Amino acid sequence: MKVWFPVTIICALAAVSGFNVSDVKDQVHPKGRYSGLDAHETHASASLLGQFRTNISGWLWVRADLYLHNGVTMRPLSEQEVLNGRKGVGSSDNADNQLHDDSKVVTVIPSAERDFRGIFGDLDRATKAYQDMTGHSHNNPKQSLPLFRLMTWLDPNFIPGWTTGAAVLAMGKDRNSYFEAVKLLNEGLEKNPDSISILDQLGFTYIARVRDLASAEKVLERARATGKRYELQDIPADEQESLLSAYRWLALVYRQYGKLDLQYAVMREGLELFPGDAVLERMLNAPPLVLAPQKERQEEVRPEEPDHSHEHGHDHDHAH
Amino acid sequence: MQPAVQISDLVVTYRQKNGQKCEAVKGLSFEVRRGEVVGFLGPNGAGKSSTLKALMGFVKPEAGECLVFGETSWTEASRQRIGYLPEVAMYYPFLTPLETLCLYGELQGLSGKSLKSEAKNLLELVGLDANMRKQNRQLSKGMLQRVGIAQSLLGDPELLVLDEVTSGLDPVGRKELRNLLKEKQRGGTTLFFSSHELAEVEMLCDRILLIHEGHLIEEREVPSLKEELRQYELCYTGGISMVGLTEDLTLTDGDSVRARFEFKEDLLQAMERVNQGSGKILDVVAQEGSLEDYFVTAIAEAA
Amino acid sequence: MKKLQIWKALARGVILETVRRKDLWVVAILGFLIILSAGALGFFGMKGLESFAKDLAATVLGGMSSVLAIVITSRMMPDEIKNRTLYPLIARPISRFDLLFGKLIGAVAVSWISFAILCALTAVALSIFSVPFEPIMSQYVLARMMGLVVVCSVTLLLSLVMTPSAATTMSFVIIFGSGMITQGLLLAYEGGQTGMQPLFKLINAITPQVGLFDLGSRAANTNWGPVPAWVMGSLALYMVLYSAAMLSLSWVKFRNQAV
Repeated sequence: MKVWFPVTIICALAAVSGFNVSDVKDQVHPKGRYSGLDAHETHASASLLGQFRTNISGWLWVRADLYLHNGVTMRPLSEQEVLNGRKGVGSSDNADNQLHDDSKVVTVIPSAERDFRGIFGDLDRATKAYQDMTGHSHNNPKQSLPLFRLMTWLDPNFIPGWTTGAAVLAMGKDRNSYFEAVKLLNEGLEKNPDSISILDQLGFTYIARVRDLASAEKVLERARATGKRYELQDIPADEQESLLSAYRWLALVYRQYGKLDLQYAVMREGLELFPGDAVLERMLNAPPLVLAPQKERQEEVRPEEPDHSHEHGHDHDHAH
Repeated sequence: MQPAVQISDLVVTYRQKNGQKCEAVKGLSFEVRRGEVVGFLGPNGAGKSSTLKALMGFVKPEAGECLVFGETSWTEASRQRIGYLPEVAMYYPFLTPLETLCLYGELQGLSGKSLKSEAKNLLELVGLDANMRKQNRQLSKGMLQRVGIAQSLLGDPELLVLDEVTSGLDPVGRKELRNLLKEKQRGGTTLFFSSHELAEVEMLCDRILLIHEGHLIEEREVPSLKEELRQYELCYTGGISMVGLTEDLTLTDGDSVRARFEFKEDLLQAMERVNQGSGKILDVVAQEGSLEDYFVTAIAEAA
Repeated sequence: MKKLQIWKALARGVILETVRRKDLWVVAILGFLIILSAGALGFFGMKGLESFAKDLAATVLGGMSSVLAIVITSRMMPDEIKNRTLYPLIARPISRFDLLFGKLIGAVAVSWISFAILCALTAVALSIFSVPFEPIMSQYVLARMMGLVVVCSVTLLLSLVMTPSAATTMSFVIIFGSGMITQGLLLAYEGGQTGMQPLFKLINAITPQVGLFDLGSRAANTNWGPVPAWVMGSLALYMVLYSAAMLSLSWVKFRNQAV
């Protein structure tokens, strides 16, 4: 009894601190298994602290979504509701539906017409952040930026924290914002070197925001190489989506360069992994596009001096 | 004048864990007159506590009547005139004795400076003046019992119901308590208490009630019981015959004889015989009878 | 007046015992952790966290205050019976209803004291984020206090019909699950058969609507003004009616209970 007690305490403390996680890592994380998003969960399962961080980052994620709606809680329509023909509330600014799609969500608290609770329902609507959200607009997602930052600090393996945070940063639509987004994603990549989602988001940011095809090519090739290291079925579903996206963007990059051989190789490889993908098929079957060759090297992206006359992105602060 | 306590055909039942009913008191009837001191005796499990609980309104009788100064025991009015000392003294551990008494006094309807003053006086009376501001958890069992005695005297109740009143007290404490209770009795307070300390019962009570398996088996006035239990011993020489008076004869040193008599008359007759004969009376002793023996015998006979 | 004195005396006993037992030190430790967390977030230089800070404050305040109320109330009567401190109380000329009501007031008072301590410490934490005071915050505090009365009354009833551990667990389930129960009822009502709908209404009426007393989502987010007076009045009325119902049920259970 006297011997076992300190041994038990030491083991518990070791478990909490994640000490010697590496020794058990091979058991929990055998070679050959994709460790992008998995790492998040294996680390979490290896220690109580990891599990705590996972829960907190998940909670922060939910809160970030809540702030977008100024506190109005939303829920997705159930299958039964969809079958019954019920429609979601939709939004007026789903141009940002990359971040957020409200076409199939409704408010958790029902409207008075759909609420059987009588006075209790009226009180619920009066005491909570509730309003009719039909065709609603959103708060400026930048309000949630600190939460994304907090998520990545608390739980560096929480990939959506990096990718969505970067997407929100890039909404500023100026060079400073793009620089910050790239910086954040690179930081995320350091901590999650095998994350295809981060690589894909980084590639997209380089292409669509920064216009740096050379850097985009580097990171997208890295995503492609990471995907090749594993069997597709071992890669989590959301990372598979990112891999497909990476193939599409990479094909686009080579098209812009005029490197058709590489473009077709990428598209065929992508279709082998994701047969029937409409985007890759369309690109594969389209006649070759002759463009002026792009410079292979772009100047390195640097932040500009702040320009106060620059117009910032649309502001959807909710007024009640 | 109504008696202080009037119990008629009292039946108290409890539901056991297996769902069956258990009768703790089976048709008990007795009275306690005003100003009396009555001892309530019985072996463990006889139904004493159940009777006291019914009297205090802690349990509702299944049947029968339980009146305190004419009021049903289950009502607030009945408890207005009762001071109660529970068997196991448990009071809020983080309150002081003074706070405890003030709390109970307020529930009694007392208030203000007069309550505080009375509480202090009672605590001094029971010898807790030095400890009245310590928390109850810091007091010994005997001190807690004194707190209990003090709280039972709050409001100068007309009836004191005391369960195992001297439990936890040292001999000095017991004597002090006896004196206190006697003083209360002289003041007209009715005392009704249960105890296993038969010596205390003997010293304090006017009457005893003996209960066994939920029934009242004996109800005796203490003086007459003591008289009945008293035995007499005559030590004499001369070989005088005691035929017809006693058969309990013991030969002691030399030719002296020790004879024991249950009744005083027999002793007197024996002394006359010795005097009229050629004998010599060496010693006459009146021995108080053992209430314990009486108790045990009564229970055995009832069983 | 006499009744008032009795209830006051009983409540004071509960407060003194709880304070001296140092149960409220738990509150102080929780509050200290809140400030520590806020300070840590401030240390990282996180600007723009006002909404998050208010949201976190509302969540922690609501959760902790309910937990404390349940823990304090669930053990109150069972401990009295177990420790036999009940006997000298019911030996007094007070009714069992007086006893329950006085104890309930004491439990509510202790819950409010704990809540007030947490509020004060949370205010310090919010000041680190330069969160300004808004009238909705006062309403939040008031509504929460009313909600704690409901929590205490539900827990008191459960403590009289179950063991302390079961009462604590059931209270947690009912109080923290009442929101989920309501959501489930809303979904079930729409999709359920017509014959079942009165049952859902009945369940909704019986379930303590603790969530109504949580104005946190309005207080944490921007541009939600104070709630109208009729809302606060309705909450107060619901608190009185529901707590009275719980107290009545508690009295029915306790009045003839052998102790």
